[in-house]
Amino acid sequence: MSGAATPGVVVSGVRKQFGSVTALDGIDLTIAEGEFACLLGPSGCGKSTLLNILAGFEATTAGEARVRGEAVERPGPDRAVVFQEAALFPWASVIDNVTFGPRMAGRPRREAEDEARRLLDLVGLAGFEKHLPDQLSGGMKQRVGIARALILKPKLFLMDEPFGALDAQTRMQMQELLLGVWEASRGTVLFITHDIDEAIFLADTVHVMTARPGRLRSRTVIDLPRPRDLDVLTAPAFAAYKHDLLAQIREEAGRAQSQIAAAEKAHVG
Amino acid sequence: MTIISRALHALALPVLLLAVWEAAGRAGLVPPGILPAPSQVFAAWNRWAFGTPAFGLNPYIGTWGETVLFSMDRVFRGFACAVLVGVPLGVLIGWSRFVARSIDPLIQGLRPIPITAWLPFAIAVFGIRDAGAIFLIGLGAFFPIVVNSAAGARDCPKNLVRAALMMGATQRQLLLRVVVPNAAPNIFVGMRLGMGIAWTAVIVAEIVAVKSGLGYVLWDAYYVGRMDVVIADMISIGVFGFLSDQVLVAIGHRVLAWKFAPR
Repeated sequence: MSGAATPGVVVSGVRKQFGSVTALDGIDLTIAEGEFACLLGPSGCGKSTLLNILAGFEATTAGEARVRGEAVERPGPDRAVVFQEAALFPWASVIDNVTFGPRMAGRPRREAEDEARRLLDLVGLAGFEKHLPDQLSGGMKQRVGIARALILKPKLFLMDEPFGALDAQTRMQMQELLLGVWEASRGTVLFITHDIDEAIFLADTVHVMTARPGRLRSRTVIDLPRPRDLDVLTAPAFAAYKHDLLAQIREEAGRAQSQIAAAEKAHVG
Repeated sequence: MTIISRALHALALPVLLLAVWEAAGRAGLVPPGILPAPSQVFAAWNRWAFGTPAFGLNPYIGTWGETVLFSMDRVFRGFACAVLVGVPLGVLIGWSRFVARSIDPLIQGLRPIPITAWLPFAIAVFGIRDAGAIFLIGLGAFFPIVVNSAAGARDCPKNLVRAALMMGATQRQLLLRVVVPNAAPNIFVGMRLGMGIAWTAVIVAEIVAVKSGLGYVLWDAYYVGRMDVVIADMISIGVFGFLSDQVLVAIGHRVLAWKFAPR
């Protein structure tokens, strides 16, 4: 999987400052072409900020991000984003949402729709082409969000806790679906989550972030055979990864807690 | 069943009031010169609408249709101007901070001046002609349309903008394919409010600035003591104001079908 000439993603020395708050401090991250990387960390650690920088939604204060060797400057269809709340256009049908990207690029509608139908079939939404987003469940909206990203044929998929708002049952279904889709195409993925099981189940590499200011604390290669299914969740190797990652996350969450307590104390004093 | 019972419920009070009014008129409790009974108003309207003009100079025989058309035509033209200017301008104000800072202060400064206060200005500039009336109607309808369009364009959810950009939309595509559809419900609210003001403005303008239409007849009939025609005129204004709102609502339901789809 790894070892391609140009890495899929190279983040070097990235710092991000919001006023007096340092969200990210000295982030170095390399993701190989075709690698599924999960970014794991306590809430508020700046995971989404790093994703937004790679997407081109936010500029860095220092350092740079490169995708297949090209510096990220602005958002573009070479870096598809799947948002936590799906962010579908509520006025557009499912198929119009999926074909939005190709239509903006001036591709013929017929051609785009044929491809969209194929992708909707792939994510299990055949027959829902004419539905409106508000007529779909949370899981179905995310399926549209994934199809909308796939049709762009991006160099990099950026997924910002896409299953975070779903119930446990649906989340597992969506994780299996995503793995199935990904194992067929093997694009480069950066997937953000605070769910340890999700990270281990999906990823080739799990990168743990520290509490604010966000830094990368560790990189763990998940050496579980693919294709994976939910049976992996009960494998001894899975438990060992989980044990290790859980200890790290606990420590960071504790640090975040004491930061909050210190800030409150300073505020009172 | 529930629709019928609800309609009966809604009609009960108006019917009761009409009955009391009619009874009071027949009993001679109110002078017909001041408050004619409903039956007299209906008879006056009937002649005004369907009567055949004879030798006399009575302007209230058979002229109702053309009177209504005069007013509707002015409302339509003034409202169309307000939409054509107000919607694009409002969307640009909501979209661009530069446009907002250049134009919004002027609009907010002019907005508190009631359209009635613009009457002498309109007559001085345009004279006793249609243009003055259309200016007033357009101006009155313009403000709610521009303000609501701006609010709708400004409140575009950040993630929808980001989604469009990551899918490769240009600034122009972002404006036309995301910001405008997102603002459409607000634009329609502004148009409905604007239509209400347009009907107010047409009556005021016709009373003062032109010599035709429902507003002109309203005041003219009052001067010659035809309160039956005055009341028939008032009811006509209400009915056409209501109908024009319903037309907008019907258009809105079509254009904004996604808002009203069953979920």
